[in-house]
Amino acid sequence: MKMLTCSRLSSYFSSSVRWLGKGVAVLWVIGAASVQAQQLDQPQKQSESAQAPVKWVQAKDLPAEATEAGNTKEKPGVVSTVLNWWHSTDRPGDLQIHGFVSQAYITTSDNDVFGNSDKGGSFGLTEAGLNASLRPLPRLQLSAQVLSRRAGEGNSGMPRLDYAIFDYRLYSQEVNQFGIRVGRLKNPFGFYNETRDVAFTRPSIMLPQSIYFDRTRNLGLSSDSVQLYGDTAVSDWGTLSTQFGVTLPVVNNRDTESSLLGLVRPGELNREISYIGRGIFETNDKRLRLGISGIWLNTSYDPKKLHSPLELGPGSLEFTPVIFSAQYNSERWTLTSEYAIRPFSYDRNFKSTKLNGQHFVGESYYFQGEYRFTPKWEGFLRYDALFIDRSDRDGSDWIAKDPAGRSGLGHSRFAKDIAVGIRWNVTPAFMLRAEYHHVNGTGWLSGLDNPIDLKTGRPIDTHQYWDLFAIQASYRF
Amino acid sequence: MNLFHFSLQAQFSRHCFLKTRACLCFALTLCLWVVAVEVRANDHYEIVTNPGVNEKTLSVNSLRSIFSMRLKTWSDGTKIRVFVLSDEDQLHQIVSKEKLNVFPYQLRSTWDRLVFSGTGQAPIKVNSSEEMLARIATTPGAIGYLWRANINENVNVLEIK
Repeated sequence: MKMLTCSRLSSYFSSSVRWLGKGVAVLWVIGAASVQAQQLDQPQKQSESAQAPVKWVQAKDLPAEATEAGNTKEKPGVVSTVLNWWHSTDRPGDLQIHGFVSQAYITTSDNDVFGNSDKGGSFGLTEAGLNASLRPLPRLQLSAQVLSRRAGEGNSGMPRLDYAIFDYRLYSQEVNQFGIRVGRLKNPFGFYNETRDVAFTRPSIMLPQSIYFDRTRNLGLSSDSVQLYGDTAVSDWGTLSTQFGVTLPVVNNRDTESSLLGLVRPGELNREISYIGRGIFETNDKRLRLGISGIWLNTSYDPKKLHSPLELGPGSLEFTPVIFSAQYNSERWTLTSEYAIRPFSYDRNFKSTKLNGQHFVGESYYFQGEYRFTPKWEGFLRYDALFIDRSDRDGSDWIAKDPAGRSGLGHSRFAKDIAVGIRWNVTPAFMLRAEYHHVNGTGWLSGLDNPIDLKTGRPIDTHQYWDLFAIQASYRF
Repeated sequence: MNLFHFSLQAQFSRHCFLKTRACLCFALTLCLWVVAVEVRANDHYEIVTNPGVNEKTLSVNSLRSIFSMRLKTWSDGTKIRVFVLSDEDQLHQIVSKEKLNVFPYQLRSTWDRLVFSGTGQAPIKVNSSEEMLARIATTPGAIGYLWRANINENVNVLEIK
């Protein structure tokens, strides 16, 4: 009996030894492989250093050829060879050209997002951009970008000037910089606004809509402005980057009108002096980023058909959102959260009971986690919430003001979106991704894609609970 | 019979154990050796500049500011031109993590923000160490990094404090 136990024990022992043996074998293989890699590396390095003087003469005489030799080693395709040549050739004034193209396919269970997405899906979201930057003087940078965006009814794909910037560095001393920018500038608010059209810089196909509304994007995206900026070292902890601008917002588009005034009106929104500012503190290791952004946007309505009973009066409105942003970066995780408080106030000259004297405060926030499984595979999970009026989160007070016209439409006053997605960086320049959203509420749907019936003033076909699935391919250079 | 069986088994497991111990020792030595090689490799690179650059030393914060593309001019007012290898390159990753204390993906997103908002430029990408050496040696105001084995007298080594 004892022996049996012993024998069992020893067989147990030997099996565990076998496991250990296997583990060691695996370790050994890995170790050997990495050693081999190291060994392969070493002679190569030595030969490189040995050949360096010879190569150096070639490189000096024929820099272009040396570049080509470097390229052929990787055996790239024609496009990347051309791009490498393009990126590695010296041009006067340090000219750089970059661009991107993205195409998404979006399908929804109900409601339309970027085209007729609820009837079998649509390829309605195409984004493309091309930019050039130049440094004719050490302190001067000129840059411009043309952007084409085809997205539902709001954006036709017609290329437009996205930014055109004259940037002069007034003061520069090690880690402290101070300068001025003039032209059409991207509006600095939140973490993502300035590069929201570039799929590679976004965490997902659809940015958190509670803060980065796609329906008022033209208003939020860029504006003609004069901006002062600075980077200051904060003791030994990190850098504070601040921007402050005086702007003329871009309000002359249908989507903005429909969002601010409820409908596309015959008249126009006027551009009035507005202000924008942002400060982002970033620790030296870029692990922690904290930001605060504020906008003071002014616009007024310029009516065209003064005698029409449906036309609005010449009212003006003020929109003053403040956004708090925080991000933590580790090797695998990026955790991001932003919170926005968005006060709207309309004056009493609109001649409309729906708009006159309206004052409400919207609230938005999201929590988002991104995880890098490998440098090529990333995933994200996000909860995003929007309330048009934070004192009336389910829209019941809003319904109570006009029960006949608004009953059952409380869901247009909020949206809560749970999203999950995956991203595959096929190459540094090409990326594929997919994501799924489950949304409760229609608060951020575009009024142009989901029109209202002019007689009843109610949306023709929107649903409170809906799902969205999207895939996207993106290329950049 | 049972006893015999046991002793056999015991012998066998002792044999296994010895073998395992040998394996373990071997693996450990290998690991240590790999670590040693790694350590040796890690201080085998330098931040280098074009010989025309006046700076001989630079603070870590200034270096980070340069590779973040925020600091654009040397102290004498000339242009800084930053050269980097691809994001996947081993040397690029080591320099990012050890010298700059940031992950390569963070540098990439910093550069993307600058390029696509029009507020800055990206560093110039080169495809190999030889190209890095050639470009830094011939480009006024250039800064980059190289394995020590690839460095020659045509570039200056920058001391980072």
